[in-house]
Amino acid sequence: MPYSINILHMFPDLLNLYGDKGNIECMRKRLQWRGIEAKLIKCTYDEPFLDFDKVDIIFLGGGSDREQKIVCSKLLEYRKQLKDYVEKGGVLVAVCGGYQLLGKYYALPDEKIEGLSILDIYTEHGSPRLIGNIVLQNEDISQSIVGFENHGGRTFIGSHTPLGKVVKGFGNTGQSGAEGVCYKNVVATYLHGPLLPKNPQLCDMILEKALTQKYPDFAGLEALDDTMENTANTYMQDIILKK
Amino acid sequence: MKVFFAILAARLTAFLAKIRGGKSSSVPGAVALKICPDLVRRLSAQVRKGIVCVCGTNGKTTTNNLLCSALEGAGNKVICNKLGANMLNGVATAFALSASLGGKIDADYASIEVDEASTVKVFEFMKPNAMVITNLFRDQLDRYGEIDITVDLLTKAINMAGDVTLVLNADDPLCAAFGYKNNKQTLYYGISQKVLPQTDDTKEGRFCPICGGKQWYNYYHYSQLGDYECTKCDFKRPPVQVEATAVSLNASDITFKLNGSDMVLHYKGFYNIYNMIAVYAALTALGVSTENFSELLKSYKPQIGRMEEIVLDGKPVILNLAKNPAGFNQAIGTVLTDPRKKDVIIAINDNANDGRDVSWLWDVDFEKIWSDSLNTLTCTGIRLYDISLRFKYSDVKVDSTTADMKAAIEKTLKTDTEVVYILVNYSAMYTTEDIMLELKKKYGGKA
Repeated sequence: MPYSINILHMFPDLLNLYGDKGNIECMRKRLQWRGIEAKLIKCTYDEPFLDFDKVDIIFLGGGSDREQKIVCSKLLEYRKQLKDYVEKGGVLVAVCGGYQLLGKYYALPDEKIEGLSILDIYTEHGSPRLIGNIVLQNEDISQSIVGFENHGGRTFIGSHTPLGKVVKGFGNTGQSGAEGVCYKNVVATYLHGPLLPKNPQLCDMILEKALTQKYPDFAGLEALDDTMENTANTYMQDIILKK
Repeated sequence: MKVFFAILAARLTAFLAKIRGGKSSSVPGAVALKICPDLVRRLSAQVRKGIVCVCGTNGKTTTNNLLCSALEGAGNKVICNKLGANMLNGVATAFALSASLGGKIDADYASIEVDEASTVKVFEFMKPNAMVITNLFRDQLDRYGEIDITVDLLTKAINMAGDVTLVLNADDPLCAAFGYKNNKQTLYYGISQKVLPQTDDTKEGRFCPICGGKQWYNYYHYSQLGDYECTKCDFKRPPVQVEATAVSLNASDITFKLNGSDMVLHYKGFYNIYNMIAVYAALTALGVSTENFSELLKSYKPQIGRMEEIVLDGKPVILNLAKNPAGFNQAIGTVLTDPRKKDVIIAINDNANDGRDVSWLWDVDFEKIWSDSLNTLTCTGIRLYDISLRFKYSDVKVDSTTADMKAAIEKTLKTDTEVVYILVNYSAMYTTEDIMLELKKKYGGKA
C-alpha cells in the first residue's frame, strides 16, 4: 500500500517568523525520499479550515508579538478541533509562539493572551530575552538536538515531559534545565526556524509517529544518507559546547 | 579639557588602529565617549546647515555615502560615518575625528547612518533635521528581538527628534506608517510602476501596520515593498513627491525617470534605485539643489562588496554583500539576470555582526540560484553546513562544501565559465575582498 501523509501548516501567512519553511520542507523531503507521498495543506487567516480528519501532521510556527495576537483569536475558533485531534494522538509540531499558544495563557506585562489550553502549561513574559544556540538531549533519540532559541516568554510546563534536557542554553525558563514539551504526539519547542534539517533523528521520530498513527502496521522508516545532516549536527554541537 | 582629551584619545586610537591595519571605526568613538560622554552633543550642535540621519534595514551605507558625495559636490563640508560604523560609538568616531583638538568642527552638514536599534541612544545627543528610513526587513533577529521592536524604537526616536522632516519609502508600508502615525513634515519617495515579475518570497508586514487588517497589493516590487492598500482602514501607499518611473533593468545599467528626468545607473540591482531616489528626496528635504543629480549618479562608484567586480586571471569575479532575506533575494535576482555561464560561491557566517541566528536562510529563495547557466555551486563560511542543507532540501546540487574560501575561488578561476559570483553576509565580506585582492596579485587582473 502506498503511504501518504498530509501536513497542515497553520497560518503560514501569520506565523512564519524565521524559516519555519525549513521544518516543513524537511518533513516533506524526508517522506518523499522514502517513496512516501507528502501533501502540504495550508490553513490561512481568510479561509475556514474544516478537514482535521484528513490531517496527519499539524505545524504551528512562531510569529512576532503583533502577528501572534492576530492569530490567537483566530486559533481559538479551532480550539475544539485541535484538542480532539491531539487527544486522539494526532501529531502536532509547535514552535516558539505556536508552543506558547498551546498553553493556558501568555501573560505579557500589560495583558494576558488566552491560549488553547491543550497543554497544561503557561507562559509569563520575562526579561531579558533568552537568545542563543542550544543543545538538548532527548531520551528517545541518541543524537543531541541542536538549535537556536529566541524568546521573551518563560514557559512553566508543570508535570509535562520536556522535549529534552538542556545541555547548553536556556530552555523553557532559563533555569529549569528543561526545554519544550512532549505530550502524546505533540512536540512543542522554543527551537525555532530550521530545527529539523540539522536534527534528522528528531524529524524521523515525528514522521514515524505520524505514520504509525495512520498505518498501525507501519514497519518503520528506511534509513537515508544523512551524512551532511549528521555532519552539520556534530559541527554545531562542537561549536556550541566549546564556548 | 574633557573634550580635548576625548578628541586626542580618539585620534590616538585611530592612529594605532591604522598602523595595526585594523578596520574598526567604532573604537576611537568608544574611547572618546568614555572621557566625554556628551561629546556627540557638543560637536553635532556646531553643524551649520543641517544633520541628516539615514536608517533602515538595507541600503543605509550606499544611501548615506551617496548623500555625502552629493552634499560635498554642492560645495559643502560634510561629516559622514562612511565606513558604516553606525552605533553611537561609530557616530562619535565620525564627529571626534573631524574635530579640532579645541573641540571645534567646521562642517555645513552631517550625514550620519544610524543603526535602527541605536537611534534612541544617538538622538539623545544629536538632533537630526531630516531622517531617512529606507525600509524595514527582518534582519539579525537575535539582536533586535523582532521587527515590531524595531518599529517601536524608531517611533520613540522620531518623537525625540522634535522638529524633523521624515523622508520615507512610500512603497514600504512599515516605513510609510511612520508618516501616517506622526504629525511631522514628511517627504515620500517610491517607484510608481510594476517592474519585476511577481514572486512569492517571504513578505513581511502582510498585515496593515496601522489596524492589523489584511493589506491588498496592486503589485509588489520585492518583499513587502509595492503598491498596497489596507482592506479595513484608510492606510495605503501615500502619494509620492519623489518618484521613479519608466524603469528599465538592462544588462549593464539601469535607466529610469526621476520626477520626469532621465537617469542612468551604471551598476546592478533594482534595489539601488531606492538608494538613489532616497538621496534625491533627502536633498530635497534639506533644500539642497538636485540640478546635477544625473551627473552624480554617473560618477558614483559602488561601495566594497556591493556588486563589486574584480578581474582575476581574466575572469570577472563579482562580490556582493547581502545580510538578510530581502537582500539575498535581490542578489539572486541580479545573478539570474546575468546570462553568462557562471560559478557561484555562497559564504554564510554567524558572527555577532552577522546575527547569530541563521534561520533566515530558509526565508531566502536560494533554490532560484539554479539555472542552465550555473556551472558549479560552492558553500562556505562558518555556517557552511546550514547553507549546504538549505540547498539539499531544495533539490539543488552543491558541488563543494569547504571552509577554504581561497581554494574555492581558485577552483572557479580554472573552470570554463565567464563570470564568478560570490554572495556573502557581513563579516565574510572583508575577508573575501582581502582574498580576492591577494589572488589578484598572484594571478593578475586582465588576461
